[in-house]
Amino acid sequence: MAEYADPDVLVSTDWVAEHQNDPSVRIVESNEDRALYIQGHIPGAVEIDWLIDLQDQNVRDYVDRVGFEKICRDNGISNDTTVVFYGDQNNWWACYAFWVFKLYGHERCKIMNGGRKKWQLDGRAWSTDRVSYPAATYTAPEQDKSVRALRDEVLKHQKAGKALIDVRSPEEYRGERLHMPEYPNEGAVRGGHIPGAVNIPWPLSVNEDGTFKSAKDLEKLYCKTNHLKRRSPTIAYCRIGERSSLTWFVLKYLLGFGNVRNYDGSWLEWGNSVGVPIVKGPEPTAASAAPGA
Amino acid sequence: MDTVTTRIDNIVDEFADLDSREKLELLIDFSNRLPPLPEAYQALKAENEGRVHECQTPVYLWPELDQDGMRLVAEVAEEAPTVKGFVSMLAEAVAGRPQAEAADLPDDFLERIGLDAVLGMLRSRGLQAITHRVRRELTVIP
Repeated sequence: MAEYADPDVLVSTDWVAEHQNDPSVRIVESNEDRALYIQGHIPGAVEIDWLIDLQDQNVRDYVDRVGFEKICRDNGISNDTTVVFYGDQNNWWACYAFWVFKLYGHERCKIMNGGRKKWQLDGRAWSTDRVSYPAATYTAPEQDKSVRALRDEVLKHQKAGKALIDVRSPEEYRGERLHMPEYPNEGAVRGGHIPGAVNIPWPLSVNEDGTFKSAKDLEKLYCKTNHLKRRSPTIAYCRIGERSSLTWFVLKYLLGFGNVRNYDGSWLEWGNSVGVPIVKGPEPTAASAAPGA
Repeated sequence: MDTVTTRIDNIVDEFADLDSREKLELLIDFSNRLPPLPEAYQALKAENEGRVHECQTPVYLWPELDQDGMRLVAEVAEEAPTVKGFVSMLAEAVAGRPQAEAADLPDDFLERIGLDAVLGMLRSRGLQAITHRVRRELTVIP
C-alpha cells in the first residue's frame, strides 16, 4: 500500500496557509495547553477545547446534540463547512475533536498534518487576534455509535477475543506506572491493561516533526508486526481517550480499517470498574488464562 | 508584611475580575518571567533528575533551601505555557521566604485565581499535584 486509504482527510500546512481566508473552511485549534492558542494561533483559527467545550461534566459525557449544534453555530461552522483541526502534542486533541465531530456526523473534517509543531517548524506566522465569525446554522443528528465504544461493549468485545489496542506507554500497559503516592494524577485505582489488548504506543504512528508516518510504515506496524486486520472489529483505548483517538484516526482513515472504534472511557473507566478483568505484565493475556477467557 | 501568604493573596488579586482570556494572558506573563535554568542544573536535567513524571510535557523542579531561604529552580517546556506560568507563580511566592512558610502554599490556589474553571478538572489536577510536590519537598528538606 503506497498511499493512505483516505488521503483527502489530511491536509498540509501549505494547504491551510492557502485556505486561511476561504469562507468554506474553518480552522479549529484544540490543545492540551489552552494558553497556546492565546499565545498565538493560525490566523483566523478558532479554539474549540476538548474539555471545556466538548465535554459536559454534569453527565461525564460529551455535550449533547443541542450543545454540539451551539458550538458549531457560535464558531461559524455550518453543516457543509470544511473543518480543519490542528493542535499541540502531535495533534492528540485535534484528533479527539475530529472524533467528536464525527460522533455527531460532521462530514467534512480534516487534520492538518503535523499540527502546531509543523507550522512552527515551517517558520509560519502566529496571530494573537481575537477571532469571531457570524453565527451559522447547524443541525446535528444523534450520535453515530459506530465510532464510539462504551464500557459494556468493550467487555463483550474483549470476552469474544476481538482486537484491542492499548496505545499507552509500555509502563502503563504493564501496570507499573499509574501514579506515585501523594501525586494524584487522573486516578485509576488499578494498573494494567484490558485482557487481550496488544500494546502499540501512539508515538510509533508519528514522525519527529509531528506528521504521520507513511502508509507503508503504518501498514508494517499495525498489520504485519501486530497482525491486525482491516476487516476485523477493532477498539483502541488509552487513559482518557485522547491518544487513542489519534490511533483511531490512523486506523480508520490512513489504513482503511472498516470497523474501528475509540473507547473514550479508556483506562480511567476500565481500571476503576467493578467486575471487569485486567492483566498485568508485558503479555496481552495472563499466562494461566486461555486467550479471550 | 511580606510572606508566602501575602504573595499568594497578591497574585489572587491580580487575577480577580479578569475574563478567561485575560487570565490566560496573565498566566503567559508569569510563564515569561520564569528565569532560564541555571547552568549548574543542566547536567542534573540531562540525567533526568528533577523530572516530574506525572506531567506529559517535560517539567523539572528543584525545590531548595539556602541561606536566603526557599527557592524553586525549575524548567518547563515552552510548549506548556500554562504549567510554566503556574510554576513561575509558585517560584515567586516562595523565593527567599523561610522554610516554615512552605506549608502556607494553598491547595485551593487554582480555584482562588479562577483558573480551575478555565482549565477544567483534568488539567487542574495536574497543577495541584505540582503544588503538593513543591510544598512537600520544601517542607522535608533537613
